[in-house]
Amino acid sequence: MSPFWQQYLPLAIILSSLLPGLIIFTLKETQVKLRISLNLFGVGVKLLLVLLMWQAVKAGQQFYFSLPFLPGADLVLQGDALSLLFVVLSSVLWLATTIYAIGYLEHSPLRSRFFGYFSLCVSATVGLALAGNLVTFLLFYELLTLATFPLVVHRGTAQSLAAGRKYLAYTLGGGVILMLGVALLHSLVQSPLFTPGGYVTAVVSGNEGLLKLAFALMIAGLGVKAALLPLHGWLPQAMVAPAPVSALLHAVAVVKAGAFGIIRLVYDVFGVESMHALQLAQPLMLLAAATILYGSWRALSQQDIKRRLAYSTISQVSYITLGVAMLGPLAAVGGLVHLVHQGVMKITLFFCAGNFAETLGIHKVRQLNGVGRRMPVTAMAFTLGALGMIGIPPTAGFISKWYLGLGAAEVEQNWLILVFALSGLLNAAYFLPLVYRMWFLPQSMPWPQEQQLSNRFETHWMLLTPAVFTAVLLLLMGLFASTELSPLSWAELIVEREFRHD
Amino acid sequence: MMVLLLVLPLVGALLMLLWPKIAPLLTLLTATICSLAALQLLLQVSEQGSQQILLAGWPSGLAISLEANSLSCLLILLTTVLQLLVALYAFATYRRDKLGTGFWPLSSLLQLGLTSLWLSRDLFNLYVCLELLGLVAVALVSLSGDKAIKPALNYLLLSLFGSLCYLLGVAMLYGAYGVLDISALALQWQTNILSTAALLLMTLGLMLKAALWPLHGWLPAAHGAAPAPVSALLSALVVKGPLFILCLLWLQLASAPQAVAIAPLFTGCGLAALLLGGVSALRTPFAKNMVAYSTVAQLGYAMLALGLLLRFNQPLFAAALWLFVLAHALAKAACFLAIGEITATLGGKRLNTLKGASQTMPLAMFAFAVAGGSLIGLPPSGGFLAKWALLQGLWLQGDQLLWLLAIVLATLLSAAYVFRVVVLAFDRADPVAPDFAPRILPQWLALLPALAVWAMALYSEPLLRLLKQEGL
Repeated sequence: MSPFWQQYLPLAIILSSLLPGLIIFTLKETQVKLRISLNLFGVGVKLLLVLLMWQAVKAGQQFYFSLPFLPGADLVLQGDALSLLFVVLSSVLWLATTIYAIGYLEHSPLRSRFFGYFSLCVSATVGLALAGNLVTFLLFYELLTLATFPLVVHRGTAQSLAAGRKYLAYTLGGGVILMLGVALLHSLVQSPLFTPGGYVTAVVSGNEGLLKLAFALMIAGLGVKAALLPLHGWLPQAMVAPAPVSALLHAVAVVKAGAFGIIRLVYDVFGVESMHALQLAQPLMLLAAATILYGSWRALSQQDIKRRLAYSTISQVSYITLGVAMLGPLAAVGGLVHLVHQGVMKITLFFCAGNFAETLGIHKVRQLNGVGRRMPVTAMAFTLGALGMIGIPPTAGFISKWYLGLGAAEVEQNWLILVFALSGLLNAAYFLPLVYRMWFLPQSMPWPQEQQLSNRFETHWMLLTPAVFTAVLLLLMGLFASTELSPLSWAELIVEREFRHD
Repeated sequence: MMVLLLVLPLVGALLMLLWPKIAPLLTLLTATICSLAALQLLLQVSEQGSQQILLAGWPSGLAISLEANSLSCLLILLTTVLQLLVALYAFATYRRDKLGTGFWPLSSLLQLGLTSLWLSRDLFNLYVCLELLGLVAVALVSLSGDKAIKPALNYLLLSLFGSLCYLLGVAMLYGAYGVLDISALALQWQTNILSTAALLLMTLGLMLKAALWPLHGWLPAAHGAAPAPVSALLSALVVKGPLFILCLLWLQLASAPQAVAIAPLFTGCGLAALLLGGVSALRTPFAKNMVAYSTVAQLGYAMLALGLLLRFNQPLFAAALWLFVLAHALAKAACFLAIGEITATLGGKRLNTLKGASQTMPLAMFAFAVAGGSLIGLPPSGGFLAKWALLQGLWLQGDQLLWLLAIVLATLLSAAYVFRVVVLAFDRADPVAPDFAPRILPQWLALLPALAVWAMALYSEPLLRLLKQEGL
């Protein structure tokens, strides 16, 4: 591959969804075919480009593209192993979600607007993954907020507008605080490229207080999107959005943006050494552990399926933060691989919840009785997702929890194993009743709002395929975890590169 | 080049009075030529350094002297380009909006006043420009007809009072020193009661004319009542004139102890403007008043930057100050044109008119949201650049947590009032008549400056280089 291509590949990956998105805005409602083909064309091109980059990065190449922006902080797009983890996740899940959304929104109004913002949202996510320094990251972080807001309020009902307001209040507040932290760090060390091992080590002595402040500000800013404990309030409310949007928010874009930012911050800005020197890991660990237990606890009492899933997200995303905060290689592998695994599992669950709601009108937990007979494929996918969340082998969730547990033992934080066990129990306690109701209880009441969406399948094929696809994926990721293609081996590669720097 | 920039709008205005029929075309023509000339001047100055000319060959001290440095050139370019844009907008809509024929010559005179203001470095010339600007602005506001008479009269009286205060200060200085050229005056400047009193008087007058808090009361009514293109010009450009003079006074004339002593006043007023202006913008039920209050709030950033600059003498604050002025001018022009277009098309003055605008008029709403992003300071916009410079300056100064908190609060307030409109626009629209067809061209014209303010971020380095060339 020529160097010219290498330079522009990161930009091309962003543009492959941005340009179709911008064109889609201008389309009329009735141009359905053109819109769908544009969407799928964008997805296809993006997957192709990502594949190219994946192979090159695996071979040890780096991608780098920069534009002049602020003094001391260019706009940099960089393709390294860590960014690719997130890029691959979001591109593959974008494919699934696009197909799902086309099926889900069939015949509903304002689709051009929806798919336009949908593409913008993915572009911002990919840009965030490819961001090469903190300022670029901040830019895409804010763009993501702006691109997701119209999706949250898409239905235009009073409830969704209220959720949108709350979402904005949280995320914009977080954005401003993040900006403050980034500006503080910039005034101390400028904003160089993300480097394994961090770049603040040189200025640690003498600036402890300010660095701690910067870390706290940035974690607070990122914690809003990652739904860390006191800042999680927007997430359950944002559930009023259409199902594909919830899937996107939870699995790919928003919460992952926060978690990914925390990974970058800990490993590539501060670095393990400075994290130890500044004693920042312990508070972050405590916060993450508290969020895990709190999210699981609140999930127990939720009677609305989507709300229960939302609290489950709050808990599960903090596994990533926790894995990162432990600062050990094995825990890091667990945290990184959970970024992917949680994404695939949660998106499966949301697809299924959306299918139940669309096909049968089921929104509450108690309405699930006997769904297994009416919609066996969706119920099967849901079960797989739920088992993965609990961490039962051979699903993907088991792999990440296994590594997180090993990591906790490695860094001698044995109380964390207790947290994992307790949270696993809670997970089982809020997911297994759903599975039990679906398969083992007879239907107790007529379906609230049944629709015949397909003659051959249990629901529209565009709603069914994505759920099956991701369910199979999460099974495969667990079964073939030790092969070269698995997220696990990629996470190991990242960790090897991160921890090898010294 | 400088003379051309002054003569052309003047001649244009006179011709427009003679042939009102071709006035719109003449305005467009002069604005286009002036924009090109301003660009040429900016390039010249950035290559060769500032230029000075003495009008009509009189010796220095007697002649009217004009000085073009890179900041002035940038502001002239901004003025002429916005003038061109607003003229295009007015040209596209004047039949529908029944804009009076007076608009064309008046807007040319406005351009003349602003251009000469950016170029003057003499206290009395500045007074003349200020007076011209004030009178033209009042006349423009009154174009709206009967309902605008009261705000326009109010504006006129306060503006005259401000000018008188300024003139009194100038007279005191002339009596004491016998010169009015700023650089000559600065050489003999003494820190005493007289000079302090003169400075304070002039500051009072200028703050009144620039609608700086707490003397901003006239602005929302006047800018809200004026026709959309006029509001865009007033908010984007006219209030920046007195601000420019204020900066000249305190940065070039005042002695260090005087500057440090006044700094808390500016920072305090800036802070109050940011917070109280933001709250008012959040509470007003009228669409255009919301945008006007946002101007009051955003001017607070400039004041804050000026105060901090006087106190710490940190060049980053100077960059922040002028970046705020540039970014705000572009963003506010876009806001007023967008809101004006939406309210004119959908009919109604209240914010509720905007309900569902993202479906009925997506382009104009998009323009408002994009411009709003810069007002909030989201990256990568001009507003973000300015805020970034301000934050960097504060963090480098150390121990300024109070100001940082205030900026966070102000940012959230601006986000609140911008998104109040955006949320409303995402509400489901009321059904519209089947022949509802909003016009596309004015909406694009509203979008242009909004895109320009985001493009500013990509040209931050040349911009900062230009702004750094100035001691001002």
